[in-house]
Amino acid sequence: MAGAHGTSRLGWLALLPAALFVLSLALYLAEGPPQWIAHIPWAESLGVDLALHIDGLALQFILLITGVGSFVFVYAAGYMAGDSGRARLYVLLLLFMFAMLGCVTADNLIALFVFWELTSLTSFLLVGFKHEDEGSRKSAQQALFITGGGGLVLLAGLILLGEIGESYSIVSLMASHRSWLDDPRLPAALVLIFVGAFTKSAQFPFHFWLPNAMSAPTPVSAYLHSATMVKLGIYLLGRLHPAFSELALWQVVLISFGGGTAALAMALTLRERDLKRILAWSTVSALGTLVMLIGIPGDGAATATAAFLLAHALYKAPLFFVAGNVDHATGTRRIDDLAGLAPALPFTAAAALLAGISMAGMPLSFGFVAKDLIAIAKTEGEVYAWIGYSSLFVSSVSVAVAGVAAIRIFWHRGGERLAGVREGGWALVMPPLAIALLGILFGPLPHLVDPLIGASAEAMRPLLEYQGLSFGLEDGSVLGALAAAVAIGALIYLFWDRLHSMLEALPWLDRFGPAAMYRRAVAAIPAAAAITPRLQNGSLVAYAAVLVGFAVLALAAALSTTSVPAWPGFERPSLAVAGACAGIVVASIAVCIVRDSFVLLLASGLVGLGCALIFLFLGAPDLAFTQFAVEVAFVVVIAAILLRLRRLDLDPAGPQRLWPRALAAVAFGALAAGLLLAAAGGPFDSALAEYFAARSVPDAHGRNVVNVILVDFRAVDTLGEIAVVAVSFVAAAPLLRLARERARRPAAGAPRLPVAAPGREAEHAAGATAAGKAR
Amino acid sequence: MTPRAVILDVFVRGLYPLMLAASLWILLRGHNEPGGGFIGGMVAVAATAMVAVARGSDVAQRKMPLGPLRLAAAGVLLSLLAGLPAFAQGAAYMTHLWGSLPLGVTQVKVSTVLLFDIGVFCAVWGALGGLCAQVVSLDEEGGSESGPNPRGAGQPE
Repeated sequence: MAGAHGTSRLGWLALLPAALFVLSLALYLAEGPPQWIAHIPWAESLGVDLALHIDGLALQFILLITGVGSFVFVYAAGYMAGDSGRARLYVLLLLFMFAMLGCVTADNLIALFVFWELTSLTSFLLVGFKHEDEGSRKSAQQALFITGGGGLVLLAGLILLGEIGESYSIVSLMASHRSWLDDPRLPAALVLIFVGAFTKSAQFPFHFWLPNAMSAPTPVSAYLHSATMVKLGIYLLGRLHPAFSELALWQVVLISFGGGTAALAMALTLRERDLKRILAWSTVSALGTLVMLIGIPGDGAATATAAFLLAHALYKAPLFFVAGNVDHATGTRRIDDLAGLAPALPFTAAAALLAGISMAGMPLSFGFVAKDLIAIAKTEGEVYAWIGYSSLFVSSVSVAVAGVAAIRIFWHRGGERLAGVREGGWALVMPPLAIALLGILFGPLPHLVDPLIGASAEAMRPLLEYQGLSFGLEDGSVLGALAAAVAIGALIYLFWDRLHSMLEALPWLDRFGPAAMYRRAVAAIPAAAAITPRLQNGSLVAYAAVLVGFAVLALAAALSTTSVPAWPGFERPSLAVAGACAGIVVASIAVCIVRDSFVLLLASGLVGLGCALIFLFLGAPDLAFTQFAVEVAFVVVIAAILLRLRRLDLDPAGPQRLWPRALAAVAFGALAAGLLLAAAGGPFDSALAEYFAARSVPDAHGRNVVNVILVDFRAVDTLGEIAVVAVSFVAAAPLLRLARERARRPAAGAPRLPVAAPGREAEHAAGATAAGKAR
Repeated sequence: MTPRAVILDVFVRGLYPLMLAASLWILLRGHNEPGGGFIGGMVAVAATAMVAVARGSDVAQRKMPLGPLRLAAAGVLLSLLAGLPAFAQGAAYMTHLWGSLPLGVTQVKVSTVLLFDIGVFCAVWGALGGLCAQVVSLDEEGGSESGPNPRGAGQPE
């Protein structure tokens, strides 16, 4: 590794997203969307398959994911150079990228959900990347609770939607929506889907997780929490837009929650001092604007959504990179400690300036084109009056935030010059500069991205008459609004510190709102967890009592509904079976009488062997075999545990209380016998047995039906079972190693030292000092 | 090693390979006669447990190919992969394929079923065998020196 300013070789992995980017672009230019790229049936009876479909919207997301991804992979090579966890970061980023690609191309609602939750999981692991830090872990937990929990709500909504539309394919749902749009269950489905989309895209009241997720490494913040994952909610809403765009519920909820979140997040920005958190709040605000745009009916809104999606990625990702570079070079992200960095970080400063111009929506940048389209969409859609005012506020604070990120920390005088601050190598400088340059380039030359934006807008609004992107300078009202935003934004920028200290003086604000509710809910978990130690109290006898007691109650409940089973007629058993039965009876009686735990174990082992004999003589040799082998292993393992307990002088049986145990045993035995009688009394459906017996040889080339079922007819079940066996071993192995080490330690220390626990030694020492002092 | 285990030790040295051979035989015959990967694996587990009792768990675990954890993982992986060749034929996952391998005078039937069953065998042997061996060792290490040992307790310090 080439030191702190080196570049990790893992950066070459950037070629992967870059290749995918080029590939999808070429695919698009060659044939044009929409198209199916895969169709793998899975659970057809449930309507679940892996169908991948690419239309304009999916393509825009694919290009964003792979395009920004390429730069993120390069950037991470510089940012994580020398960090021992960089391989883990790349693995997680790659996993995340594929989950995202799956999510935006999945046509099946259930497949979409699976990929959706995969992005939540990888996001959890990435937010908690610095897992030694408690703050990181808490933020990761919060992100998982909210996005993962929201995902579950989303699943309910998607299933309901699939049931209403009688299809889980998004394409066919969108095609047939006229026939099911007035279903009474639809509002419920929509609300559930809203919760899912709002949690993912950090909309009110779930907005607070995103700024906390900033404890992730900067490449992650730039990728997941600004450019891609948080836009999945937007993607889903855009994906469903063709069906619901005319619904009042859709419009009202999206416009008010989106517009409200946009303004609220911008207000909360003013309370922050951390550059990354400031950018995070402005991301929440941008997501709010996107949600609002999807709610606004009309062609202009769809175009504006697509354009703003691109514009935001092109300025926010570089700004996050800039924040990362500043952090990397100076070791802080607090804007109070940062000033006059431009001479030391000239390329970063240039990237910040370019991205800031686009974020502020200055003419000749792509941000301006998007802003222009948003203004047109609002006039076209006739939205509420308050949206206009809040938009002005949002634009103004955007200008101020752009000023803070691009001007204040780089060009502001004051603050001492930080020594030794310099650029961190090409991998840290190139990505922000390149993306920010694109954000400027598309401003005067919007026709470069025109087909892409058009295709994306058409995917969201099938009957759209695409006007094409325009330079936008001819509309006077837009320029007027921009001038107002710049003027107010400049004021906010100038008075940023004073505004901040004013808001800082209102700490009671923290006690309200969903973030505080989340904190209280998490704080309540330990109280609820107090039940656990009562059930899991470490006493094997108590566990057995709970298990047997529960089984007795469940069996009694199950049997109470059946009629009294008839006693089956007597059939003379063969001598072998009778012998085995006699063995079981003798062993059982012995179990009841014997007190020594080893003899007890052997006697109960004998019961098991007797059962195996019965299986053998009744024509189930496989079962008998298995029973023999399991019984042997069981006895050996339990004997070892009993030996250990005996050496520790612990009585495994605990205090002897005869009657409760006898009662539990008799009740359990009686109910088990009752269950057997009920089962034997009912009619025996031999359809499955006959099917397997008939098909085993012709279909599976095997005469041993039991084995054929295990390895062929039900092979996937078996695979699951051996996976469980292996995983349980993986889980048990460290515990056993710990137990062995504990057992070993006193053995190693025992010969010389007097018997004393370390705790007692410490007490002795403390007592001695105290005594010495007293003297 | 306490003296009383010597007979067991010698006995186990001879029995272990026999039991493993039996377990393999049970595994291979499983498709047509009673047996199969799970039962064969359990017999191998019993063999491992026996070695662990007689000669210690470290010996028992060393005697397992790849070691218990990797053996279990390899088993699951093998079973997982055994379902894949079906895709080459355009069939659903885990559709087993059969073929026969001519060996001059005789023919041997080979199939993805066998691969799958070997995977089950390895997973069961690795996971449960490792578990048995390690649980058995709970007794052996902590035992002789620590705890209320009547011989040790009387010794002067």
